[in-house]
Amino acid sequence: MDHQPTSVADGAALSFPDGIPGFPDAHGFVLQDLVEDGAFQLLASTDVDGLELVVAHPWPFFPEYTPEIGLEDQRELGIDQPEDAVVFCAVTLPEDDGPPTMNLLGPFVVNRHTGIGRQLVLDDAEATPVRAPLVLA
Amino acid sequence: MLVLTRRVGEAIVIGSDITVKVVEVRGDQVRIGIDAPRSVPVHREEVYREVERTNAAAAAAARRTADVLRTRRSADPEA
Repeated sequence: MDHQPTSVADGAALSFPDGIPGFPDAHGFVLQDLVEDGAFQLLASTDVDGLELVVAHPWPFFPEYTPEIGLEDQRELGIDQPEDAVVFCAVTLPEDDGPPTMNLLGPFVVNRHTGIGRQLVLDDAEATPVRAPLVLA
Repeated sequence: MLVLTRRVGEAIVIGSDITVKVVEVRGDQVRIGIDAPRSVPVHREEVYREVERTNAAAAAAARRTADVLRTRRSADPEA
């Protein structure tokens, strides 16, 4: 899949009806570009004070990444075709100053038309690691 | 925690629409079948907890991560 950095517009309001794992009350988010080209974005909660996550599209870094969006997730999110879905993953700089890592185990999937999303929890922690080292260009 | 003893092939019912069945027991491994409405997410606990922990770590490091990524980008226009 092509790199689509601004497939969710800068400043878009997103709705996560179920919250996200660890933050069940975080239902509303705003997605803001962190760098000019939008390759990294900041996902900021509008419900939980100070809750922010740095996110990025996975494919520029992991072209082989193929998260499976289950039927129920597709139905809940109203995703009828792949083009409806925007996928991004959280990026974390570890405490030990190692390279940033991307959470491929828990991708965020958002319907680009409605802004409704959820964080999936995939089954295979070996194929889709929770801390995949990110090689920056 | 409620603890119940079940034999292979037997099940327990949670609420009216969730059934958890013991499918097979082999050594210290138990295969469990779960029938639940599709709207009820079912996860292996350690995988779900790992995503919870990673979200917490990502949130705690968000400011620092954002600063570093911004700096690297501006230092390397080719990136």
